[in-house]
Amino acid sequence: MTTFWFIRSPRLRALIAVLVIAVAVLIFGLPIIVAALWSLVDPDTGWFPPAVVPPRLSLANWRALMAVPEMAEAFRLSFTVASLVTVLSVVLGLPASFAIARRNLRHRRLIELLVLTPLMMPSVVPATGLGSIFIRLGLSQTLTGVVLAQTIVVMPFMIRIVTATLSGVPQDLIDASRNLGAGPWRTLRLVIIPMIAPGLFAGALLAFLGSLEEFILTFVVGMPKIQTLPILLWAYLGGRSSIQTYAAVVSLALLAPALILLFVAERVLKTEHLAAGFGKA
Amino acid sequence: MTNGLTDPHRPRQSRARQSRAPKSHARRGRALRDFIVNVALLAPACGFLFVALAVPSVQLILVSFGLAGIGAKVGFTVQYYVAVWQDVLFTSAFVFSLRIAAAATLISITFATILTALLQVDFPGRRLVNVLCKVLLVVPSLVAAFMVLTIIGPGGMAARLLKPLGVIWPSLLDARSGIGIVLVLLCNSVPLTLLIVPAVAAAIPRDVIEAARTLGAGPGRVFLKIMLPLCAPGIGAAGMLVFIGCFGSLAIPSLIGPAYPRAISVMMTNEFLRRGNWGTASVVGVAMIATTAAVLAVYHRLAEAAGLRNR
Repeated sequence: MTTFWFIRSPRLRALIAVLVIAVAVLIFGLPIIVAALWSLVDPDTGWFPPAVVPPRLSLANWRALMAVPEMAEAFRLSFTVASLVTVLSVVLGLPASFAIARRNLRHRRLIELLVLTPLMMPSVVPATGLGSIFIRLGLSQTLTGVVLAQTIVVMPFMIRIVTATLSGVPQDLIDASRNLGAGPWRTLRLVIIPMIAPGLFAGALLAFLGSLEEFILTFVVGMPKIQTLPILLWAYLGGRSSIQTYAAVVSLALLAPALILLFVAERVLKTEHLAAGFGKA
Repeated sequence: MTNGLTDPHRPRQSRARQSRAPKSHARRGRALRDFIVNVALLAPACGFLFVALAVPSVQLILVSFGLAGIGAKVGFTVQYYVAVWQDVLFTSAFVFSLRIAAAATLISITFATILTALLQVDFPGRRLVNVLCKVLLVVPSLVAAFMVLTIIGPGGMAARLLKPLGVIWPSLLDARSGIGIVLVLLCNSVPLTLLIVPAVAAAIPRDVIEAARTLGAGPGRVFLKIMLPLCAPGIGAAGMLVFIGCFGSLAIPSLIGPAYPRAISVMMTNEFLRRGNWGTASVVGVAMIATTAAVLAVYHRLAEAAGLRNR
């Protein structure tokens, strides 16, 4: 879409460029710099207004990331939960995506609605219901409970993204593979999976990141035993007691994997697929 | 969208033509096999989602009526409903959350629509902006909240930078209007709208816009008469997602905002986490589901009516 139907004057376009990029830099650059500065504040001197830069910098807060047990633990836990949720979402979601995209379903609308429901409900509601059930089942404050709860809100994105990709696979290729004697499994392995790999990757990535940042269900089901990074960040932001410097460290530690994964996957993440994941069309 | 390329009938029809004699029998067998395969494919995900959504919802409704309660005596009662209805803390929280969600939704869809229009212009650096939109999407919401707080919070960067200029930065975060909460919620909702609205705009055929331009429509007219109507479904869907997300948001309103009124999710979770009062919390949950369903129904109606009028 390299069109410029909107404005043809080059000067006006340059003005828009400057304006948009200035706003973008302000939105992205400034907060990251401020957050980085907060994470480097020397705990002995602090950083009080009206100073625009901290008087002394140190790496003490970053060392705390490994030294404070709850931070190291939250780090480990967050990535464990995110991996488990991603695997569970793929295992449960892939067959369903296939059925929705390529099979002749009688109640397609109903099934699509069911998949969309977790996105159309404030997640504090299922969290409350699950919270009281999990107490009975003994799943409250356990890793299993948190993984199951997160999968509810994460899997729909996965299913929708993979469904969108799967419906783009030309039927001719599948027919050709079958005609040439490949069985359904062989076709799946050699034709369908390679063709949908980008979408599958995008879905898994979004599931991973979605789990990494999930707050409400983890909070209700897991607190206080299961503390993932967002829960700890919430605690440092004032949910328990405000520790701005630790909040900065946890924020950057949580942001880094998201950005790394995004840059690794930038080419694969087609906006249309992601948009489909969020209920477009 | 899916129908163009998928054609599950084709191989079956050709096979059916070959074996005409035991027609109905074979067809029924095949239908049964298809059904079993469909169920097997769908059962894991849909079964999980159904159980994970239906059971808690039923539980919520039962508990709200005093049945199946935890640590409370069991028996049908509407006392929790009466209590919530009469408690001004809950009713004002409800209105507060609705207001916050409406404000965040309006601001983020307006912003996304304007930016989408600007992104149609081929200016240098447009690709960079596109990439930055994706970056925004993966920023965890609490991290974004932290970053906004370090800028606009008390003693934040904005206050520090403006002080030498003699400007006193207003204390936004605990403002009674909830503007602080809205500002922080926007950093989660804007990326969501920025994902959906431009994707819908990209699907507008170029010919339509070219034709309009050739026939003498100015940029403003193209925006109002072509882009906006054709993007409306996407804008609406994005708006609904943002509204629901903000209406039920918990992390941010529990950290900032006025002492009264609190957001409804905060009231609700406090009720069972601090007081163990699952009955009252469940009533609030039922009310939230009802509100969301009503909002979605109204939206659906409006969208349908608008669609009919366009035709």
